[in-house]
Amino acid sequence: MLPADRGSATLSTRLIAGSAVLALLVAIAFGILVFAVTTLDDATKRERHTRAVSARTLQLEKLVLDLDTGLRGFVLTGRRDLLTPWTTAHMALPGKLRAFRHLTSTAADERRRAGALVTAINQYVRDYAELVVEIAQENPAVGRQGLVRQEGARQLATVRDHFANFLSTENALSAARTSAAKHRSDEAIAAAVIGLIASALLITGFGFYLTRSIARPVREVAAGAASLAGGDLATRLEPRGVGEVEDLTNAFNRMAERLEAGRRELEHQNERLRESERAKSELVSVVAHELRTPLASVLGFTSVLLHRDVTDEQRREYLNIIEAQARRLGALVNDFLDVQRLEEGKLSIAKELVDIGTVVREQTELFAGQSSKHLLDVSLPQTPLPVRGDSNRLAQVVANLLSNAIKYSPRGGIVRVAGKQNHDVVRVSIQDEGVGIPPELQREIFGKFVRGHATAEGIEGSGLGLAISRSLVEAHGGSIDFESTKGRGSTFWFELPTASTG
Amino acid sequence: MTAQPEPTAADKTVLICEDDPNLRTLVRLALGDGYRFFEAPDGPSGLALAERTDPDLIVLDLMLPGRSGLDVLRELRSGDDFAETRVIVISAWSDSDAAAIEAGADRFLAKPFDPDELRDAALALIEDDGAAG
Repeated sequence: MLPADRGSATLSTRLIAGSAVLALLVAIAFGILVFAVTTLDDATKRERHTRAVSARTLQLEKLVLDLDTGLRGFVLTGRRDLLTPWTTAHMALPGKLRAFRHLTSTAADERRRAGALVTAINQYVRDYAELVVEIAQENPAVGRQGLVRQEGARQLATVRDHFANFLSTENALSAARTSAAKHRSDEAIAAAVIGLIASALLITGFGFYLTRSIARPVREVAAGAASLAGGDLATRLEPRGVGEVEDLTNAFNRMAERLEAGRRELEHQNERLRESERAKSELVSVVAHELRTPLASVLGFTSVLLHRDVTDEQRREYLNIIEAQARRLGALVNDFLDVQRLEEGKLSIAKELVDIGTVVREQTELFAGQSSKHLLDVSLPQTPLPVRGDSNRLAQVVANLLSNAIKYSPRGGIVRVAGKQNHDVVRVSIQDEGVGIPPELQREIFGKFVRGHATAEGIEGSGLGLAISRSLVEAHGGSIDFESTKGRGSTFWFELPTASTG
Repeated sequence: MTAQPEPTAADKTVLICEDDPNLRTLVRLALGDGYRFFEAPDGPSGLALAERTDPDLIVLDLMLPGRSGLDVLRELRSGDDFAETRVIVISAWSDSDAAAIEAGADRFLAKPFDPDELRDAALALIEDDGAAG
């Protein structure tokens, strides 16, 4: 019996969803962390770049100063050897400028500022320095003119201003960018740390949830199972948990219920067995008693005949008693055997056409002579009451009901015996004015060895008559029942299907 | 005054309280001639007859219509009137001996009983009375 798919989320879906949310949260936190590190790395790269640009700029400045130093030395002294720094720097300058332009080519703003610086340097070299060197080579005196020198100083100052500007702007921009990156990085690290702490808290919470929704119910089921194993079959679990765990709890409760019901059933069967054992041992006792009473007559009169002097008339009388009592013994044995066979379903019933009216008449005549206190009033129709069955067995039923009517009305009275046909049913009823059946006994009166207070009241019987009668009537396809008022008497009747005589 | 004659059964009255008529006859035969017999087929008439006849011996069955033999016996023993009356209980409930003796029976004989044993038991009880009286 598998539980149907429920509309609400099962435990597995909840666990998977919870795990997914937690994993996403951790991933986001790590993403933020990676972003922070990247930002920081970016800032570091930018700083390195700025340092490289500054170094190149300073190299360029030194080169320009070298140019200027060589230029001035040569112009002032006219010594060619002093022109060496100029020559060296002048040769190196184009390569250095290219490298500088390359280094500063990535960012547009930087490229523009670098371009301006390079233009200023080129202007100085082309429009002033190269001209002065050329003039000085041809006419050293003109070169030495102060005007020229003053123009040189002015030109150089412009270039150096450009350098200073470029460097300060580069440093300022770099510092601002680095600081912004650091700030972003700090924020990202803070967010990531908060995210990780939140994840840790949520994972802990999830753990508690797992404990509550799985571990605890499972522990309870384990404890319940131990309790069941210990024999307490009334153990039930609180319906707790979600989905599969709830299913487990429910399955456990169903199992416990089954076990308990099984044990109750077993106890019930045990009780019935004990009851049947008790009935059997009571049967043994009843059989012993019922057999001993006629046996007392048989043995007693035999002893009298053997050991005492008796007249012929007495002998005949006693032998008659012995015979009758021996027959009674035989009848009792037959009763017990009937019960045995009925219980085992081994009684064979003939299917002859029987006039139940005749059977009733015969049995009533037999009983009429037995009691002086009872008047047997028979009421039968003129026509036969045809049924199909075993006349001996039907006679046994009538005899049993008649015998009960007499036995259970010890003060005597009228016993009304009636037979009639109602369409397809033949009904025989026997009514007495006896002690009746107490209500608490009415339900089980057709059971075996049910004698009510008969024993205490000294009414003999095996307690088998009604059980045999009911089985016999039912074996004929009929039914038997009664109504009774305690102290007022009982009416027993049985109905059999009418036999078609045609 | 002549000597008191030896007590004989002829002086004695016996009440047989038993529902089976054959067994009542058998008890009479077993005890033999010389007793005066009264018979009752059930408990209530047994008690009534005991009141009327004041028997020396009661032969009492336990399984009696109306009132059980034990009931009858207890009623008899509850007053002084029947304190001297001898009671022999005969029953097919062979294990009722203790209950019968406790209720006041002098002897218990299980059915089926030996007629000679019943006769001897009755004589012994009555002679006992004679010796004591």
